[in-house]
Amino acid sequence: MPLILHGLTPIHWAVAGAAIAAITLCLLFVANRRLGLSSGLEDVCSLLLKLPYFTRSSVRAGRAWRLPFIAGLAFGGFLSAVLGGGWAPTWDLGMFDQVIGLGPAGKLAWMFAGGLFIGFGTRLGGGCTSGHGIFGLSNFEMPSLVTTLSFMAGGLATTQIVYRVIFHWSA
Amino acid sequence: MTLVYVLLGTAFGFVLSRSGAADYDYIQGMFLFTQFQLYGIIGTGVVLTAPGLWLIKRHGRTAQGAPIEIELKPRNRGNIAGGVLFGIGWSIAGMCPGPIFVNIGEGKVYALAALAGALVGAGLFGAIYSRLEGIFSLPPLRLGEKRAS
Repeated sequence: MPLILHGLTPIHWAVAGAAIAAITLCLLFVANRRLGLSSGLEDVCSLLLKLPYFTRSSVRAGRAWRLPFIAGLAFGGFLSAVLGGGWAPTWDLGMFDQVIGLGPAGKLAWMFAGGLFIGFGTRLGGGCTSGHGIFGLSNFEMPSLVTTLSFMAGGLATTQIVYRVIFHWSA
Repeated sequence: MTLVYVLLGTAFGFVLSRSGAADYDYIQGMFLFTQFQLYGIIGTGVVLTAPGLWLIKRHGRTAQGAPIEIELKPRNRGNIAGGVLFGIGWSIAGMCPGPIFVNIGEGKVYALAALAGALVGAGLFGAIYSRLEGIFSLPPLRLGEKRAS
């Protein structure tokens, strides 16, 4: 199945997984940092909100690496688009367009709603796919196993309900 | 060091972009059980990170010789509730936190709305933390000490 981005063929999962492992280990071995990206959301919040939660010590300590790392993430996506056929703003959303089919305003509302769950949920759960899923599981941490199973369950249930139950999608 | 973080982030973003991990269709394909790709990526990532972590911890020091410090995540009732809520958001947006930034970089306009939502969601959590603390047995905020970076 092609990517939404320029219909590119994705790299093999084993190559991608190996690259993610290499970057995770590099981050720890070179910079003594535990991979985790959802904390980056509170780093950005901490620039705007002066609440106690966003001025606590771990946020102040993590900002110095996470904000540049996040800037790199966006730049990596930008490079990928440029090298894969050129960068241009796009509204393409793959099977969402075919099955759910909302226009730009609907997509913005849909994505904002999804974002609310992501922001609130990752803070309450203490991490996301990277910090719990990749790092935490690799480090045999029980809270990470519990959280990973929980977000996989939440995602499975939601996609199954939205696509198979509400929109009667079938392969 | 800042440049190192930007470079590692760029490499990570490129891989997420080209592997399907930042692709709405591949995320839905994972949750619909029609695509193995994401299970393969996360599985390979964990299977290779685990022995590497073990080796680094056994070595005990970073490349520059500083002692390895891994901050462990707290275990509390927020793990399940927060996990489920995040999973719902991952399914709706087709992005987890890292890929939100990758999608913005790729030029996907709607990813800006996902970022706005995620910041409001995280901001809301921070604003009502004191009220959630008791319900989910969350750790008290440590406001005092500052870790050298």
